[in-house]
Amino acid sequence: MKLFSLFAAGLLASSIVFAAPVPGQPAPNFRAADVSGKQISLADFKGKYVVLEWNNPGCPFVQKHYDSGNMQSLQKRYGAENVAWVAINSTAESHSDYMSPEKLAGWFKQHSAAPAAVLMDTNGQIGRAFGAKVTPHMYVIDPNGTLVYAGAIDDKRTANPADVKTASNYVTSALSEVKSGKPVSKAVNNAYGCSIKYS
Amino acid sequence: MRFLSALSLILSFIAAAPAAAQSLPRFGAPEKHVDAELIASTDAIVPGKPITVGLRLKHEHEWHTYWQVPGDSGLPTQMKWQLPTGFNAGPIDWPHPKRLPVGPLMNFGYEGETLLLTTIQVPADLPLGTPVTLSAKASWLECKDVCIPGDAQVNLTLPVKSAAAPSGSEALFKSSQAQVPQSALPAQATIDAGRIRVAFSAPANKTLDKVEFFPLEEGRIEPAAPQELKSEGGQYAIYLTAAKPVGADFKTLKGVVVANGGPANANGWSNVVQGPLTAGVIGSAAGAAATANGNSSMSLLAALATALLGGLILNLMPCVFPVLSLKLIGLAQHRTHSGPMAAHGIAFAVGVVLSFVLLAALLIGLQQAGTALGWGFQLQTPWVVAALTVLFFGIGLNLLGVYEFTMATGVANLKAADALAHKSDWRGSFGTGVLAVIVASPCTAPFMGAALGYAITQPAVIALSVFAALGFGMALPYLLLTLFPSWLAKLPRPGRWMELFKQFMAFPMFATCVWLLWVLAQQTDAGGVALALGVLVAVGFTLWALGLSQRGARMFRWVAAVGGLFAALTFAPIATSEALAPGTRNTADAGWIEYSAEKLAQLRTEGKPVFVDFTAAWCVTCQVNKRVALRADDVKARFASDNVVLMRADWTNRDERITQALAQFGRNGVPLYVLYDRKGNAEVLPELLTQGTVIAALDKLRLKEASR
Repeated sequence: MKLFSLFAAGLLASSIVFAAPVPGQPAPNFRAADVSGKQISLADFKGKYVVLEWNNPGCPFVQKHYDSGNMQSLQKRYGAENVAWVAINSTAESHSDYMSPEKLAGWFKQHSAAPAAVLMDTNGQIGRAFGAKVTPHMYVIDPNGTLVYAGAIDDKRTANPADVKTASNYVTSALSEVKSGKPVSKAVNNAYGCSIKYS
Repeated sequence: MRFLSALSLILSFIAAAPAAAQSLPRFGAPEKHVDAELIASTDAIVPGKPITVGLRLKHEHEWHTYWQVPGDSGLPTQMKWQLPTGFNAGPIDWPHPKRLPVGPLMNFGYEGETLLLTTIQVPADLPLGTPVTLSAKASWLECKDVCIPGDAQVNLTLPVKSAAAPSGSEALFKSSQAQVPQSALPAQATIDAGRIRVAFSAPANKTLDKVEFFPLEEGRIEPAAPQELKSEGGQYAIYLTAAKPVGADFKTLKGVVVANGGPANANGWSNVVQGPLTAGVIGSAAGAAATANGNSSMSLLAALATALLGGLILNLMPCVFPVLSLKLIGLAQHRTHSGPMAAHGIAFAVGVVLSFVLLAALLIGLQQAGTALGWGFQLQTPWVVAALTVLFFGIGLNLLGVYEFTMATGVANLKAADALAHKSDWRGSFGTGVLAVIVASPCTAPFMGAALGYAITQPAVIALSVFAALGFGMALPYLLLTLFPSWLAKLPRPGRWMELFKQFMAFPMFATCVWLLWVLAQQTDAGGVALALGVLVAVGFTLWALGLSQRGARMFRWVAAVGGLFAALTFAPIATSEALAPGTRNTADAGWIEYSAEKLAQLRTEGKPVFVDFTAAWCVTCQVNKRVALRADDVKARFASDNVVLMRADWTNRDERITQALAQFGRNGVPLYVLYDRKGNAEVLPELLTQGTVIAALDKLRLKEASR
């Protein structure tokens, strides 16, 4: 029996398992309410390119890309190109960074952001399904629902808004490659940012 | 930048509704939670002599900064030096970090006080007397449950002298330098299905009881995954989980090993380990962190004691009891010969222990050769099950007196005991020991599969010790009686009851046959069972004819030979038959679906609760659990009302996918019961299920959902 209590201890330690898809695999479908309470599912965007952006306004790395206007301009540019840009907030309700749907909607409005949807993933289900670790963790999904990019937003791993100008943006390059029928040259990398405040 | 962000903050504040004001304090110029200071190990700069300086970071309680590889999130601290001409700063010498869990994620960094060391080259032609100022812009990310970027301009002015004395911080420098990992130990890294095994030797005179591995490259290993330490063949091996997907450029594994808590602790040390990464087979290493963190010598003792006890109990199993009890009766008839008797007892014990060790070595060998096997593997092949049926049937007929087993290695032959007086026949006792293990094997697998499966996942030395202890336990009663023949006086006097007892013992043997045939029915189909029964008829005929010939009707020898030929011909199709393909098995209850890793992953992503039953037909515990708990009406009703998807992983036949799935849970045998909640988190239920344990687990699941 002692053997089995050893097992149990080990299993408790590893009970949280990320079953994240890797580029080339189908993106897991999800369904969640957006900040206005509307149910949104990944399947709603079938036939479109989809960008997922993990968001938490309390995170300096997210602030870097919104204070510099970088994220908003990407959202607007790709919105015009019929790409569905979905921001997802997986912050647990118990965390001090948590924002109610109304507040979060207000924050996006105040930053003149233009995502197609802002999803509340308070229980972290979508985040865990994608293996999202940080804000901003970025994902690109092709019109067939296949994940084609997972990783950082760009190559300047800092919280400094000034670095945006000189950074090479991975989401932009992934989208332009995949849209021109080429495979994404760097389909996965280590995202940088704040840890997602999972429940 | 600071100005820009402050400006945008003010603008947004003016533009926004009062709602924004509430979050203002967190967005404002952040209060500092980390103090930074530049200090030197000496009180002066000496021309031409490198000087060691350090960035001293004092963290507020619960706040941390990051190591050179930050883990799942975070940023390493950076130094931008502004130095006079001729001075050159090297890279940061990082003291080893700590593992800092953040929810399900893991960071590598520092808490409390830390000193990031840098060696600065000093020009030889530096004039004495003029003080020099060393400056740097340090920037870092300070985090608690929230993160704030921090930076500081740090300066240190020192006199330039021809000789320097240690500064007041010398002790801090010494202790920090001790925390910097020592030079690289050569290592061999093997990657196999997302698991990485790093093997290396500890530095001379150093031991390793507890380990933490910190990768020196990002994106190579899963930072939060449990790490397991094993001692294998004189080396240490750390088992890690690779980050998915594994990059094609991942050719070298480089990381820091922090042993026994690091140099600040007794026996603690830390070194860089580095070596080529190659694809290979690393067996089914358990994902159990407990092995690395727990006291391994204690658990080994417990395992050995459990195995010894298990071996003792084996003597009472229906497949072993008849054989060994008759062996004992044989002894009872010869209670006067004490000397040679001890030799027999020892030979028997050696036979038993060696057979167990050989069987275990075979299993470990096959595993390392890449065959996905677990204990119970003997029963995963239909022809082995059929052969064991024939063996038990033959022993049963022998006990009934249909024929005599005349070879010296007679399993249950009372006459073998006659040979006890002849010292040369100790080989017979050794053979009996070997055969006892063979007849015991169908009993070890179902009752002790899980415990032995655990042993298999341990280093080879431990695994073999556990098996040896099991054999020793099994041989112990017989061994003791031969060593202390006076105890035999307590056994009943020989008489006619012995013959009746012997005949009666045939029935547990036939009962074992029935059970093995049932297992065979799960593995193959009615045709397979019919063939096996046909073999039994032919074997029965052969042994009957053999018995007649033994009693003087010599021509029946030829009849026996013909019968034997028939038996062999009937057996041939079983030996060459393949086990049924998964999916065509008839073990499924209504409402259960067949296990597949893809389906499971999909269900977990969809947020459905899933109960997985890892089982096998030959696993008696599994069958008991199925009847007692899983098929109980209350349990079935709860599964239905909680919308739990029921999945069955049937390991009756060899199935590599299921062996792999078991390995993910550190198991190498069945039963295993896993309940996934709606978030996909796994909870493992005990091996022995009751209705209560299953329902309690489901209650916990409900509770978790209600609290959300």
